[in-house]
This record gives sequence, C-alpha cells and structure tokens, in this order.
Amino acid sequence: MSEALDALIVMAYRQLKRFRRGRARLVSSVVNPIIWIVFFGLGWSNVFNFPMARAIFGGLDYLSFLTPGVVAMSVFTASFIGGITVIWDKQFGFLKEVLVAPAPRWATILGRIIGDSLIAVLQGLIILGLSFLVAHSLNPWGVPASMFYMLILSLAFTGVGVSLALKITSMEAFQMIISFLMLPLVFLSGAFYPLKYMPDWMKIIAYVNPLTYTVDGIRYWLTGVSTFNPLLDLAVLAGLAAIALVAAARLFSKTTLD
Amino acid sequence: MSQEKDGFAVVVEGLVKRYGRVVAVDGVSFRVGYGEVFGFLGPNGAGKTTTIHVLATLLRPDGGRVLVAGRDVVRDPVGVRRSIGVVFQDPSLDGELSGWENLYLHGRIYGLRGRVLEERIEEMLRFVELWEYRDRLVKHYSGGMRRRLEIARALLHRPRILFLDEPTLGLDPQTRAHIWDYIRKLRGEMGVTVFLTTHYMEEAEALCDRIAIIDHGKIIAEGTPDELKKMAGNDIVYLKIREAKPGVCGFFEDLVMECKELPGGRVALKVKDAVKALPRILLRARDRGLDVLEASYHRPSLNDVFLLLTGREIREEGPMDMIRAMVMSRRWRR
Ligand SMILES: Nc1ncnc2c1ncn2[C@@H]1O[C@H](COP(=O)(O)OP(=O)(O)OP(=O)(O)O)[C@@H](O)[C@H]1O
Ligand SMILES: [Mg+2]
Repeated sequence: MSEALDALIVMAYRQLKRFRRGRARLVSSVVNPIIWIVFFGLGWSNVFNFPMARAIFGGLDYLSFLTPGVVAMSVFTASFIGGITVIWDKQFGFLKEVLVAPAPRWATILGRIIGDSLIAVLQGLIILGLSFLVAHSLNPWGVPASMFYMLILSLAFTGVGVSLALKITSMEAFQMIISFLMLPLVFLSGAFYPLKYMPDWMKIIAYVNPLTYTVDGIRYWLTGVSTFNPLLDLAVLAGLAAIALVAAARLFSKTTLD
Repeated sequence: MSQEKDGFAVVVEGLVKRYGRVVAVDGVSFRVGYGEVFGFLGPNGAGKTTTIHVLATLLRPDGGRVLVAGRDVVRDPVGVRRSIGVVFQDPSLDGELSGWENLYLHGRIYGLRGRVLEERIEEMLRFVELWEYRDRLVKHYSGGMRRRLEIARALLHRPRILFLDEPTLGLDPQTRAHIWDYIRKLRGEMGVTVFLTTHYMEEAEALCDRIAIIDHGKIIAEGTPDELKKMAGNDIVYLKIREAKPGVCGFFEDLVMECKELPGGRVALKVKDAVKALPRILLRARDRGLDVLEASYHRPSLNDVFLLLTGREIREEGPMDMIRAMVMSRRWRR
C-alpha cells in the first residue's frame, strides 16, 4: 500500500513540476477568465447599474454575481484540459513508462489527476484573488469552503478529461470535444445569468450540468446567494468526482498499446 | 520458486498477435535462459517490437503462452512487471524533466526512496556517463544521451530481465560502441538477462549468445551466431592470378575443401577458416610460381543466412558486395 501511495505522490509531483516549468500554460489559462471578468463583467456591470437590477441577481451587483461563476469556469476549463496531458504522454511515449511499471494503475492515474487538480485549483485561486479587486460583495471567509468545492470540481473534471483522453488517440479529436462541450456547459451553468430566467429547455440542460452546481456552491460561499442547497451542490459534485475517478482508474487499468 | 526450477527467464510458446487483419507475430516459440543475451534479428515490420510489447505486458497476446520470470503475462502482469526493465524503441522519457528527475520519478514509481534511491541514481547515471548532465532537461539531450538515459532508467530498479528494443537505432558508431559496452557489462557484472531486438546483424553478432532470425512474424532460424553462419556455408578465399592457366586448382587441393576457377584469372577457394588458410594458400601459390595480384576472402554473415532463407536482405547495406558474394556462393551449390 505504501508503494501505491509513493507512486501516487510522485505522479502528482511530476504534474506540478512540469507545470512549474511550463509557465505558458498558466498564463494562457488565466488570461481567458480575466478577459471575461474585465470585458464582459465590467461592461455589463454598468448596464445593470440600476436598483431593479440587483433583484435579478439575488441582491448582488453584477460583478459579485459573475465572478464566482468565472472562478468555477476557470477551474473547470483548466481541469478538463488537464486531460490533454495524457494525450501528450501518449504521443511523447512517457505513458509506456507508466504502463510498464508494477505500481497499481489506479495509483499512478489518481496521482496525476490529483496533481492536475491542484494546478487547476491554483489557477482558480488566482482568478478569485483578482475577483476581490473588482467585485464588492464577496466574502473572504467563504474562500476556504469555495476552495474545497473547487478541488472536488477539478477532481471530477480532470477525471472526465483523463478518461476521455485515454479513449481518444488524437489531439485534434480531443480539442474538438472540448470546444464542442465546454462553452455550452459554461453558458448553461448559471455563471453569467441566473437560472430562473432561462427558457425551460435550457433549464433542463442546466439542471443536469454538473457545472451548475459548482457555480451555485461557490457563489453561495462567496456571496450567500444560491439556487440550491450548498450541500446538494457538494453532493452532486462529489458523486460526479467519484464516478469520474473510478472510470479513469478502470480505463487506465485496462489500457494496453493495442 | 518455479522460475528457478524451470530455469528460463522467458518462455514463449506459439505466440500470435494480430492488429486487425495483420498478423504481426505468427506462432513464435523460443526460450531464453537466465543470464543469457538473446537477440531477435529481423527487418522492418518483422514483429520484433510487437513481441517485446507482449513480453512486457503492454499488448495482450491473441494466442499462445508467454512466461516471463516464470509468470504468465496475461494472468500475472504485475508479477512480470516487477522483474523486468524495458527500453522501448521509441522514446519514453519526460522531456520537461531533467535526467536526474526522470530517474527519480522512475525509482519512486518502483517503490525506491531516500538514500538508496539517490545512490542508485548516481550509480546508474555514472554507468551510462551522464552524471555531469544530470540537471539538464531531457529535451535538450542528444539522441544518444537519451538512449543511454533510458538504459540507466530501465536498470534503476535492478530488474532480472532487461528488454531492449533496437537499442542503437539511428545512433552514430561511437555511441553505438558505448551502448554495446554497457550491454556486455550488464551480462558480465550484473548478471542481467537481456532480450534485445535489432536489425543490425553486426549488433546481434557482437552481443548475443543466441539469435533468432525473425521475418514476417515467424522465426526462420535460431542458434548461436556461429551455428547460424554455418548455415550459409564456409569461408571463401578469392585470388586473382596473372596469366592464370587452367588447372591452377590442382595446386591447392590439399589445402582447401573445394576450388573453382572463375573467368578473368580468378580463383575461388572454399575453406573452413579463411584467416588461417590465406597465408598457406599464398605461400603455396608462390612455391608454384603463381603471380597473385589480389587476395580477399568472404565470410558468411548473418545477412547471408537471411538471404539464404528469404531471398532478401535484412538491410540494404553494401548491396553490391553481398550480391557478388551470393553469386559466388550460389555457384558452389550447382
Ligand atoms: N498499432 C498497430 N496497428 C496496426 N498494425 C501494426 C501496429 N503496430 C505494428 N503493426 C504492424 O505489425 C507488423 C509488425 O510490426 P512491429 O512494429 O512489431 O515490427 P518490428 O519488427 O518492430 O519493425 P521495426 O524494425 O520497423 O521496428 C508490421 O507489419 C506493422 O505494420
Ligand atoms: Mg520495432
């Protein structure tokens, strides 16, 4: 068991080490959410700068409503894209080194998922830090709880990303899936506008979109405003994470070079 | 333990592996004893890499039985993985990490840690002469350095059996000589069993105790390098003689196994060992007043064996020499 733990830790360490070396990834994944906050958020916050508007956003100013969503979005994106590193490893051959090792496969894959999740959370925290500069109703005491949600979220979606990457051979196909899935999921998560104003068919999708519950949970801890019970949010996320991690471990255990 | 009892590091019986309709490995059987250096020699696409991947538990066989270190690759892959080190044909290092970090990562995945791990890393990096470059990122290593690092990594956890898939493919002669040295030391000093593949016949000959020649997924010949070369026949000495008269062959009767006069004053003499026979043949020629203008000899190589068995070259290298030699040796058989 301690051997499995060693393998897990060192695989997480590898992901962090590689991340530290490749700063470009950090910059590119932080810039995107910043663009949303500045050009989308600041712009609309002036539009919604009248008393009635606050009622739409559960009593919040628009930036305070939006930023928790953008934080969730940035963690979600970073996690999902973490799966790409598995494809890299396939193409550059390092995956074979892991596959031929006697260490339990669940441990090596879980290690790298944890490593990538920590990276995603770090990116989320950077965005969260910036959010405090522009949004006025964020509660600093909610940060630890939000971090916890972010971590579960990123375990879930790194797990999903890794599972997809294990099934998919080409980088192009993976990128296609990402662009096909990611933006709609983000828009249908309640990050940019409240769920209750969505058309019914959109609401249905939003309700089955796990990102919805993350946005809701993080928004609850940072602003006190939420649609669902934050414990329900957590339960949905944890359930998804459990499924995704088990799936990734199973897939990786069966992985061969066929 | 069973592997001590039956005494074989690798036992392969009737191995079959298909990719869709392509039969990459077609009923291959062989055994490798502990401490042996065993080589798979074959041209591109022969099925060498596929075989190694099955032995290393990374591909599932479609038929047959494979035991590595006494364990079945299908039923106990983890047991097999514990006993082996693998250097793949294609690179499998992490380019974003340094040489030292690559070994550290490997060691930790294999359950090594602390002082023991650090000492082994140093030992292995010194063994492949990369200690000075330990902190350089692997993406800045040369091809030869990467290859050596992969060998160091595959040995770090002290496997009993080492798989090397084309260990010197595409390397310059100097690096190749280095790697050959390491492989010889492995067997000599560390007692590691080595299974290697190559399509360089000099490499197979220089390193292997036993060689299996593989083509189109089948083993077409197996034996020690000497045994295999015997299959292609004996050494042949060629002389070119000024104003050769018919009947020169008579002069050499007691020295050679067979003699043939060729056009242009040339004579071909079949002998057991050309290196020993040549001086005597030249002496005899002088005694008989023959003016020898040129003398050369041809030793059958593994390539000749391959040619003999398949009608093709393992590799297009110096084809003219080979064709000439073959024309000669064909003549013997008529
Ligand atoms: N993933 C794959 N999918 C389909 N066919 C494959 C695959 N890998 C190998 N093959 C085919 O199987 C056969 C054996 O390939 P293999 O790589 O084992 O040969 P090899 O002896 O290692 O050749 P080389 O000297 O070029 O490395 C070839 O015909 C090859 O085209
Ligand atoms: Mg090959």
